[in-house]
Amino acid sequence: MSQNGNNQQNAEIPVPSVLSQNQEERIAARRLRIAARIEAKKRSEQGEDSGQKVEDKEETKSQLQVELSERRIQKLKIDGTELVSNIQVAADARESQRRDEQEEERRLRLEKLEAEAKSSLEKFEEISKKWSEAKVREIPQQLRDALKSQSQLCATLLEDKNKLIHDLQKELKVSDDRYVRDLKRQADEVDLMVERMEEQIKTLIKSYRVELQEIESAFEQETRALLEGNLQAWEQMRKDRGNKELENLRQRISRVEEFEGLLQKLRVEDAEEYNMIKSKLESDVQVLQQQLQQMKATYQLNQEKLEYNFQVLKKRDEENTITKSQQKRKITRLQDILNNVKIKCASQEKQSREENQSQTEDYRRIMQQYKHMQKKMRRFAVIDAQKFEEVWRMNEEEVKALVSRALEIDRLIHQQQLGLEWVAPPLPFMQRSGPVRTHPQAHSSALQSVTSMLGRQGEEEEKGRMEEESTIRAEEGPSSEDVVSGSEAGGTGSGAEKPRRVSQKTVKRLLELLCDEAGFLIESKLLKLLTPLEKNEQSLMKLDSIFSAMGLEHEEDVYQLAEFFVRFKKEQAQEQEERGAAGGQDESTEDEDLIHPNDVLKTLKAFTAQHCKARCVASQGSGQGSVSVSMARSVGVDAQYWESMASVISPAKVIVWNSLEKALEKYHTVLTERSKLLVDTQKLRQQNSELKMLLHQYVNSRVNAELEVPPTQVMQIVRNDTFNGQSVPRTMKR
Amino acid sequence: MDETVAKTLLRMDPPVFKSNPAADPRKMRRIIAEDAEWSLAVVPLLTNLCLQHIVSNFEAQPMLDDLLPSHKIYVLEKLPPSLPLHVTANLISDEGYWKKCCVQRWGLGDVTEYGNSWKRMFFERHLENIIELFIPDVTDTKVVLDMVPLCKNYVKRLTISQLLPPIRDPQKPEEDDSSDSASDSGNDGPSMDHFDFGVLLDKLIYLEELHLSYGVKGCGMNFDWNLFEFTFRDCESLAKALKSCKTLKVLRIHQSRVDDEKCRLLVNYLLDHPALLELNLSHNLIGDRGARAIGKLLNRSCLHILSVYDNQIRGPGAQALGHALSKNTSLLSLNLRLNRLGDEGGQAIAQALVKNQTLLSLHLGSNQLSEPTAIVLSQALAKNSTLKSINLSCNRLGVDGGKVLEEGMSHNSTVVDCDVRLTYIEQESEVCISQILRSNLSKTCRKHTIEANIK
Repeated sequence: MSQNGNNQQNAEIPVPSVLSQNQEERIAARRLRIAARIEAKKRSEQGEDSGQKVEDKEETKSQLQVELSERRIQKLKIDGTELVSNIQVAADARESQRRDEQEEERRLRLEKLEAEAKSSLEKFEEISKKWSEAKVREIPQQLRDALKSQSQLCATLLEDKNKLIHDLQKELKVSDDRYVRDLKRQADEVDLMVERMEEQIKTLIKSYRVELQEIESAFEQETRALLEGNLQAWEQMRKDRGNKELENLRQRISRVEEFEGLLQKLRVEDAEEYNMIKSKLESDVQVLQQQLQQMKATYQLNQEKLEYNFQVLKKRDEENTITKSQQKRKITRLQDILNNVKIKCASQEKQSREENQSQTEDYRRIMQQYKHMQKKMRRFAVIDAQKFEEVWRMNEEEVKALVSRALEIDRLIHQQQLGLEWVAPPLPFMQRSGPVRTHPQAHSSALQSVTSMLGRQGEEEEKGRMEEESTIRAEEGPSSEDVVSGSEAGGTGSGAEKPRRVSQKTVKRLLELLCDEAGFLIESKLLKLLTPLEKNEQSLMKLDSIFSAMGLEHEEDVYQLAEFFVRFKKEQAQEQEERGAAGGQDESTEDEDLIHPNDVLKTLKAFTAQHCKARCVASQGSGQGSVSVSMARSVGVDAQYWESMASVISPAKVIVWNSLEKALEKYHTVLTERSKLLVDTQKLRQQNSELKMLLHQYVNSRVNAELEVPPTQVMQIVRNDTFNGQSVPRTMKR
Repeated sequence: MDETVAKTLLRMDPPVFKSNPAADPRKMRRIIAEDAEWSLAVVPLLTNLCLQHIVSNFEAQPMLDDLLPSHKIYVLEKLPPSLPLHVTANLISDEGYWKKCCVQRWGLGDVTEYGNSWKRMFFERHLENIIELFIPDVTDTKVVLDMVPLCKNYVKRLTISQLLPPIRDPQKPEEDDSSDSASDSGNDGPSMDHFDFGVLLDKLIYLEELHLSYGVKGCGMNFDWNLFEFTFRDCESLAKALKSCKTLKVLRIHQSRVDDEKCRLLVNYLLDHPALLELNLSHNLIGDRGARAIGKLLNRSCLHILSVYDNQIRGPGAQALGHALSKNTSLLSLNLRLNRLGDEGGQAIAQALVKNQTLLSLHLGSNQLSEPTAIVLSQALAKNSTLKSINLSCNRLGVDGGKVLEEGMSHNSTVVDCDVRLTYIEQESEVCISQILRSNLSKTCRKHTIEANIK
């Protein structure tokens, strides 16, 4: 192995024996010292242990013990490792020393080598110098001497070198030896190290065991001490408790005694008090008994008195009871009567109620029947009307056909028979069909009248104001008179005959007034809708709604209303005149044209009341009237109508017709005779032809041919004549 | 087996029935053998037969995960350890089987070193064996590469204690010697000087530790320096491989004649390695320049442990290391044992201790340190409050140095281990120092207990 690449364990340096001995000695000494130290420490610790036990019981001895043993083991370990590593350190030291030495040796060797090289160089130079000298020599002896010396020199040089080599080889050998020795030594050291390690491990194990035991014992002691201490404490506490109990008991006994004494005392006191109270109460009882006696005496007295009183009262009471019973009987009787009356009343009420109910039911039923009847009647009326119309139409058609036939015949007669120009009579009814109607458009609706009226107003506006007033005044007079007369004549006169009793102007004004005053009758919605319209249209629409609300339908109604207003006003004026005779005229004239707006409502109310009545009557009347009218109507007009139809052919014409008939009958007889004659001739002709046929047959038969004289030949001439009619042979064949 | 069955069938005869007429008819039907040796237990169950079949044909048709748990256990018990690895490697995870394999191959081993995993142990040792017996240009690299897919999931550490050199002709070694690590060894020389880790390291995805030693074990009398040659080419390929292995945490290259140049090359590739925590280059030939490179690496990695003991680092190298140490914030342990730092280097390291706040352990044993270093060190110890362990053994500090050190230690309260053996200091100061250490230890112990109590 190389010098550099080896371990320190393979150190080669041959260490002097003195040194090695020294080291070993030192190691041994150290070991002894360590052992001594450990011993001493153990001893001291053991001593300390006992001392510590006594000294500080409080501190945990086990911990102390653990610490101590830890420290001890630590020390043991350190010492052991030191012991082991001592070898390594020593080897290191040797190695480093060897290196130092080696370096030194190397230096010396180098110096030596250098010196040697120098000397040998000098020698070599000397030799070489001598060589040059030798060349100069020419004498062989000299040359030989020189050579000899030269060879001698060379030999010495070589010897020197050899010596050096020898030395070096020696050194090498020495170092080899040393290497071997070192190896051996290192092996020894390794052995030693192993030994020490084992030893250390052994001692460590031993000490560990000892320490463990000690620690355990320490723990045990500690636990024992703890147990003891706890036991002692326990005992102490038990004793304490026993003492306390005893004391308590004693205290209790003493307290019980005390309480007994107190009780005794209290008992005695109570007995004394009791006696005292007893005597006192006895005396009290005596006094009270005396009082009782007294009270008994007074009681006796009072009892007698009261008994007497009682007797008196009893008598009275008896009397009272008698009267009471009498009264009671009376009351019961009266009660019975009352009850009877009540029952009667109830039955009566019930009866009446039932009656009432039945009657109402009857009424309802009758009403229903009546309604049914009405409905039926109306239906029948309609049907009848329809039937009537149908019958009418049918008859009319029939009649018309007859008329037209008659006229046609008349025309034929005139034209064909008489050869006269026929003029058609006027026939107005021919164009008409259906039954005659009675003025269906006589009653124009109220609204129409109003519109017309308002429209007129627009025209009249062109005229001057003055004119207007004058006309109003002019018309007012007669109109008012008319109204009065109209009203006097009859409330329910037909409106068509008296349309102008109230002037249009007043009516118009009235209407405007109505528009303004009776606005409440108009629906608010309608008002809203009306706002964008013209004034005229607005008022028109308003009036329409007002009329519909009031139930005015016909123009007539409107005039009636106007009349009513005027009348009402007049009545008022009369009243006023009656009141204040003097200046009523002016006011009345002023009010004449228009009723005061405040009175409009009143008058309206009155009017509606009246109007409704009138209408009811009218409607009732009209329900029946419509039928009766239709019936009545047919009698006059229809007769006339039918009459006109019947009288299409005038009597003059009838006479003509009669004469014509007679002539024609005569003509007819002549004609019949002629026809009879014609028939006879026909028969004769037929016979003739038959005969011809028979003849022909005979002629043409076969027998004829067999005959000697054929008849054909005979009848040649006849034949020619008979061929004209064909029917003859046919009949012959038959 | 069949014979016994046949026998039992033959012996199923009336006498048996006659002997127990009152017995249950169900029982009567049962085969009751006269043969005392026969029992139902002898007849193997069908399941067992099947399982045995599975075991015997496991190589042809591996079937394990489909089995019931109890059957699986049975099969694993019965499986022979000689099965080819490509069948078993990724299929069997049962520790029992791999323990069997390991024991059969190497005898009993300490499984705790392998994270209590026999499988890991097996594969690591198997791979190590393959690599250790790998002869460049003779052994096919396929032998190694074939193993990779099988063992890459299990190998976490590789401890390679030897790497065989290529076989050479007698003349060639001389040539090689002359050319050394120059580039002209390419043409007629072997394709590689040792096993090339470049093909392996980037494939082992879980590799964390790598211990290498470029040398031959047990060469005996065939010793030749060439057997222990760590060539420049090896160094370069190794460095590249290391760079590609991102999971590596521990790297140890020892007894491999790593000199300054190779050290610098290695360091160059290891700069900014993401995972490397421990670097061990002990027992090499690293000098000052290599030390300077390592100093540079210190501050460009997250190294926690650095061991460069038994090298040839002198004053300048130590100064470079000291400079790096004064700025470093990750290094926890530094071992410079058996170097030649001298007072110059020792002072530099000691001064670095004043500034450093992370270093816990420092080993300066056997470094030719003397009194001046002791003075600076005592000053540093008085100021430093992180260092726990310092080793100054085998340095000639002398009596005065011991006194100075004692004084320095008296101001310190963290150091619990100070080795001053063979430093030629007085007994008294040694005792004093040991007392201080003890008090420090008890203090820290107390602190620990307090902290534990608080927690």
